[in-house]
Amino acid sequence: MKRSKVKDPGIILTIVLAVYAALVFIWWPADVYLGGISLVGWLMFIGLFFWVLIGVIYVIWIEKLDQQQ
Amino acid sequence: MRVTESVILFIYLIVMTLIGIYFYKRARQSESDYFTAGRSINTFVGSFAAFAAVASSSSLMGAVGGGVANGLPFFLTYAFGVIAIFPFAMFLIAGQIRRSGVKTVPDFFYQRYGKSVQIVSALVVVIGMTFYMIPQLTASGIIGSYVLGIDYTTAVIVLGLGFTLYAALGGMWAITYTDLLQGAIMLIGILLLAGFILVDHGGLSNLLNSALAASPTFGDVNLPWMSYFGLFIAFLWFGIVSPSVVMRNFASRDEKIARRSAMGATILYILLFLAGFVVTGAGAALDVIGSLENTDMVFVSVIEHYLPPILGGIMLAGIMAAIMSSADAMLLAISAGVAHDIYKKHINKNASERFVTGLGLMVMIVASVIGIIFAIHPPGIIAVMVGWVGGFLLSSFGFPLVLGIWWKRANKTGALVGMLSGAVTFLILVMTQVLPTNAEPIVAAPVSLLLTMIVSVMTEAPPKEIQDRVDFYHGMSEETH
Repeated sequence: MKRSKVKDPGIILTIVLAVYAALVFIWWPADVYLGGISLVGWLMFIGLFFWVLIGVIYVIWIEKLDQQQ
Repeated sequence: MRVTESVILFIYLIVMTLIGIYFYKRARQSESDYFTAGRSINTFVGSFAAFAAVASSSSLMGAVGGGVANGLPFFLTYAFGVIAIFPFAMFLIAGQIRRSGVKTVPDFFYQRYGKSVQIVSALVVVIGMTFYMIPQLTASGIIGSYVLGIDYTTAVIVLGLGFTLYAALGGMWAITYTDLLQGAIMLIGILLLAGFILVDHGGLSNLLNSALAASPTFGDVNLPWMSYFGLFIAFLWFGIVSPSVVMRNFASRDEKIARRSAMGATILYILLFLAGFVVTGAGAALDVIGSLENTDMVFVSVIEHYLPPILGGIMLAGIMAAIMSSADAMLLAISAGVAHDIYKKHINKNASERFVTGLGLMVMIVASVIGIIFAIHPPGIIAVMVGWVGGFLLSSFGFPLVLGIWWKRANKTGALVGMLSGAVTFLILVMTQVLPTNAEPIVAAPVSLLLTMIVSVMTEAPPKEIQDRVDFYHGMSEETH
């Protein structure tokens, strides 16, 4: 069975990763502070957990696709 | 000399060497055993091994030192990039490259593009990984001279030869199992340290307040935007472009284990960085940065301040573990590059497996000696040297590798031009220093991407057999060769 590479979980989640990274680096709220720490830092801190989450989603998703195949 | 810490460090080195001796016989059985541990590693061991290969001197000492010197957002940029290493590599290459069945990264280039691309890539691996040994050896020299009370040069030589011995003897088998142990020591050590710090300060909030009181710019973005962005990009790509990390995939039992190991490594890595967050706060609260010769030593100051000597010794062994577990993987990549990719593939195709593994062993020793000679007078600080290697590999390898997996139309000429143009652009940018330090791949990598694509489209498409192989990497067809 052929799968479209455009709909591959790896490509979709790479785009998700790039969108979050772009949000942080384009917005770049360096002068907004929460608890004395720049919001840039907190956005990256949240990003750490987001990376783990999309990693787990990928493993489950691709294994399901492999099973279907 | 710090006696308790020295004893713990000595015991640690003995155990690592014994592991190398234990695996010597098994590793020398075949090339597959020496370079890929017989492709038999499971998820649990694979997770720790992958984690330990990436977590290096720069993760522990460099990130904390950089965070205290340049502010918490700098530390978090480091973390933001490195925690994404394994997910990003998983999305784009991990399962596919394991499925290709190759032993080394240049092997993959040979399978996908042919001989000329493989030779260039083997040279890039050997040069890049040999240079990458220098910051690891520098870090081991700093720690060794501090703990053992000997001069820096002697520490670099003794500790450098120490980890070369077990890696050369036991190949990927010894490297994987020492990494399991080293990963565990590193993680337990830093979690203990973070626990002691939090108890001492009465929680995270109080710790951050103390850090901000001692260093009012601790929460600020203190460097130009491009420095943060360059750092993020270089780390993000590390799991794709660094052969020392990619080779972990080849050791996994199959592509499913390769992906699960990468996921396990990510979870271990976030624990390391959450603890590192606390250590960075403590480093700022101590307010010692001005009195230190080297910002990388902040970590050691925190250990000394918060931990009793016996636990401090374990944590210092943990830092040595971080250094050694990355350096041994680099040595293996260099060894495979010379013995397997250049000698066996192009000079003597009939060489026996025992001779190739023997040559691999000798190459590791020679590479280590070269690294030691350079590390005696290192050309930069740890973080900058690490950034250079990551940037060089990304600029030359990154896109030809990813496009080779995802784009059937990518061909030999395109990959060759992309690889060389990226490497040359990177070197010119480093030498002319027209961009801020470590920002070079922001320009050099897109040059490589564009030229790989343009030249591929302008020249003949790869043969059908090669195009079918791209489907095979994604599990869409059966083996074609």
